[in-house]
Amino acid sequence: MKNNPVYKREMLVRSRSFRIPLIIMIFNGILAVVALLNMYQSIAQVKVSGSVRYENFLQLYAFVAALEFMLLMFIMPALTSASISGERERHTLELMFTTKIRPVEIVVGKLMSAFSQLMILVVSSLPILMLTFIYGSISSGDLMILLVSYVVGALYCGSLGIFASSLMKRSTFSNVITYGIMLVVVVGTYMLNVFLLNISETEISTMALNSGEMIPKASSGPSVYLLLLNPAIMFAELLENQVAGGGGNFTITKFLGDNGGNLITDHWVFCSLVIQAVLSVLFIWGAVFFLKPERSKKAGSFGKPTGTGRRS
Amino acid sequence: MLKIQGLKKKFGNFEALSGLDMEVEEGALYGFVGPNGAGKTTAIRIITGLLKADEGTVMIGGKDALLYSEQVKNEFGYVPDEFGLYDNLKVWEYMDFFASCYGLSGLVARERCTKLLEQVKLAGKEEFFVDSLSRGMKQRLCLARAMIHDPKLLVLDEPTSGMDPRARIEFKELLKELCAEGKTIVVSSHILSELAQMCTDIGIIDAGKIVLSGNMGEILKKVNDSNPIRIQVVENVWEAVKFLRTEPEVQTITVEGNDIVVGFHGGKDAEAMLLAKLVAHNIGICGFWREPGDLESIFMQITDHDMEKVVMTSEE
Repeated sequence: MKNNPVYKREMLVRSRSFRIPLIIMIFNGILAVVALLNMYQSIAQVKVSGSVRYENFLQLYAFVAALEFMLLMFIMPALTSASISGERERHTLELMFTTKIRPVEIVVGKLMSAFSQLMILVVSSLPILMLTFIYGSISSGDLMILLVSYVVGALYCGSLGIFASSLMKRSTFSNVITYGIMLVVVVGTYMLNVFLLNISETEISTMALNSGEMIPKASSGPSVYLLLLNPAIMFAELLENQVAGGGGNFTITKFLGDNGGNLITDHWVFCSLVIQAVLSVLFIWGAVFFLKPERSKKAGSFGKPTGTGRRS
Repeated sequence: MLKIQGLKKKFGNFEALSGLDMEVEEGALYGFVGPNGAGKTTAIRIITGLLKADEGTVMIGGKDALLYSEQVKNEFGYVPDEFGLYDNLKVWEYMDFFASCYGLSGLVARERCTKLLEQVKLAGKEEFFVDSLSRGMKQRLCLARAMIHDPKLLVLDEPTSGMDPRARIEFKELLKELCAEGKTIVVSSHILSELAQMCTDIGIIDAGKIVLSGNMGEILKKVNDSNPIRIQVVENVWEAVKFLRTEPEVQTITVEGNDIVVGFHGGKDAEAMLLAKLVAHNIGICGFWREPGDLESIFMQITDHDMEKVVMTSEE
């Protein structure tokens, strides 16, 4: 990566910009305020009741980790979704096409520079996350899995942004498409399952009225597997496994009904991480495919053409 | 250095290039001109590998640029009509970035950057941000960037558009210097007088085809032969006109005071004969010459589809 010109240039520009320290300060500021307020509340409770509730510190861990993951999911697409379309708008992409640099180097350089910036945020926020270690109950293994989920989640969102950026000629379109897809994947798949679960519950309660036999549990059916694409559900499941040992009310359990107990549902986090990693690779491949000079010209038909498509 | 044969490109039903043939000799400063929509930029984009051709061949330095596009990237440098700059980089960083895009790094890249910035008169501006440079400086920086890998061929698309006269003159001189150093340069422009002053060769493209190409001096000479003859008469203008009407080579006659502008189809011998006949008819002649031709008159003749055209080829 050290020899990738695009990565080197991006890191140079990003390190010079005031935005990086500002984002780190705001990001860690939010996390620190939330963590310290939570700790203050827990200690105040100790003063009143005289007993230490260790689950409060686990909640603090879950809360800070979830907040961090949500911020990563918002920041990563913002860093990548305009990266290639921005080059196109500046007319620098064509210049790169005339050099020896390969499209894959451009895509990977862009993605990795955004990823590096994200990792700076993650690493800088570790001390806040480790406040939980003061009271124990979270192992270093848990923390490693959490970091892996951050890495995969960031690559997933980032590669989607890069893909849209490679496909679209204008950064505005690219931003809209990226966040639109994110919305469908995160909120859309969850709401679809909620909707199907409600229908299933209605059907089952009708069945219960008509017969006294054993009736199945309500479930959202096979669409529950769409949630494997959803990084937020994966993360919620991970936190629930770490903090509550599974069986919470937010994650996939409630959508499964009697369909659980197979290899995928038993290893939901792992399967979801693998699928997201595979999709990330596919998005990167797609971005490289659409970045080839002739391809990038065709890609212009999705957005309004700028000067680059001009003929004389 | 650059040889294009039968190049065709269609965009839907619009035929941007319809069998373009073009040859640029090594060391030439080749002016590539044509009206808007003639196919200049399409041709340049195909030469530089930014667009695929439907048919034809493009040879750069003896290599097929369409088949081996990666291999020929070291052979040419490209300056587009849009600058393609990173405003938030310093001048040397910009150069260094493109050097590394060609696989150059370390001392080699740094020395090359220094030399090129000196050549384009940007020495001392290395630490300036690109954003702070004037338009002329930005264009010279683009030219330096295009030469970072020391290519033999430079392809410039409308390089002087939007530049003030001083910057244009400086840029023109720079191109002449590069040509003298042995670079082959293809430059497209709408400013014909500028091209006429600096180019050694020219190709005029119209409707996706080269309609005139060759050495600039030879072309201007050929056009001279089809330009009108101006005859300055001391007195008796109408007597001279009466005589000229009888001459079979004279096509048109226009009287401008004591000057008679004659559309004349004939060579040097016929011209001399006409002058001798006028003198023999006791018509006082104080001036007799062919109107000089220029690139603009050639361009207008060739690309004006509403007028009767004189289409010349280099073989003529």
